[in-house]
Amino acid sequence: MTNAIEITQLNYRKNTKTILTDVNLQLAPGKIVGLLGENGAGKTTLMRLIAGVAKNAKGTIAVHGETREAPRRAFVSFSEALQGFRPADKLSQIRDFYALAYPDFSAKKYLDLITFLQIDDDQKLATLSKGTREKFIIALTLSREAAVYLLDEPFNGIDSMSRKRIISSIIQWKQDSATMVISDHYVSEIAALLDEVVIIKDHTVCAHKSSDQIRSEFGLGIEAFYESIYEGDIHDDEL
Amino acid sequence: MQFDDKVPIYYQIKNYLYHRMVAGELGLGEKLPAVRQLAVDLTVNVNTVQRALREMIDEGYIAPQRGRGNFVTQDATKIATLKQQLTTTYIQDLYGQLHALKLTDAEIIAEIKTYIQQRGDADDQRN
Repeated sequence: MTNAIEITQLNYRKNTKTILTDVNLQLAPGKIVGLLGENGAGKTTLMRLIAGVAKNAKGTIAVHGETREAPRRAFVSFSEALQGFRPADKLSQIRDFYALAYPDFSAKKYLDLITFLQIDDDQKLATLSKGTREKFIIALTLSREAAVYLLDEPFNGIDSMSRKRIISSIIQWKQDSATMVISDHYVSEIAALLDEVVIIKDHTVCAHKSSDQIRSEFGLGIEAFYESIYEGDIHDDEL
Repeated sequence: MQFDDKVPIYYQIKNYLYHRMVAGELGLGEKLPAVRQLAVDLTVNVNTVQRALREMIDEGYIAPQRGRGNFVTQDATKIATLKQQLTTTYIQDLYGQLHALKLTDAEIIAEIKTYIQQRGDADDQRN
């Protein structure tokens, strides 16, 4: 079976700064994967590279076997921060833009999602609270029928009710064959959701394990495992 | 439902369903909710629910019907055996802990009786 994502010897520098070094990663179709690491570890950069938004890395990134950036973007739904839109834009205008830009955008899924997440899309972008903005980004991202979803810290700074609704919408609307990568720097709330965990430390992937492997081999919860790696309690040769 | 993050989730889902079957909340031959609905209700991954159900199908507690969904077994002795197994597991655990506190067998039985008695009294007072 072709991997959903296959990254080989990826190296990325920005100006003179090393962001990612020798990243190798294979993710199978249908998995929900937690991408964990401290702020600044390179999680967002890795997602931007997979999505084909950031360019000029060394090495290869294949999404369902496709290594070229432009066609790869058609497979990947990435939770971008809505930076290209004006504050006065209505959410429904942003939806129209997505529907035009992405042939796999499903108007029905969008409607189901904004209803479930309780978003009124007649509002202007500038009026949204932090939580509603995150929920809207999730609605747009999941409305595409993509092979790969990349959610960059979707729970950042939002209240627990919104968090629960976002988690439910992920369970409800992710197609079985789609792979989803969720980045975060704290995991307790999504631990039960994750099939696998990828930990980024010192500019590279330092661990990639199934959640059940972590629980049964190390006898640890996901959060504890992640902390042990960052604090150096688990050494590289034990992974 | 709250999960213990140190124990594989599929295992905890199985346990949860075993308990509901033994308690009769999921009756013989009853239809289980759809996989995705179970996943949403328990806030877990669809893959994890599928794994739990697959194992319970292999074990014979759940009978899938093509195109209709998953059903609890019709076999009452199967559930009775499961109830006995769960009971033995809990008693083993309780006995082991009390034994480690150096209680004699007679004391353990007496303590359990006293506990049940006091519980009953408390219930009576409430009613």
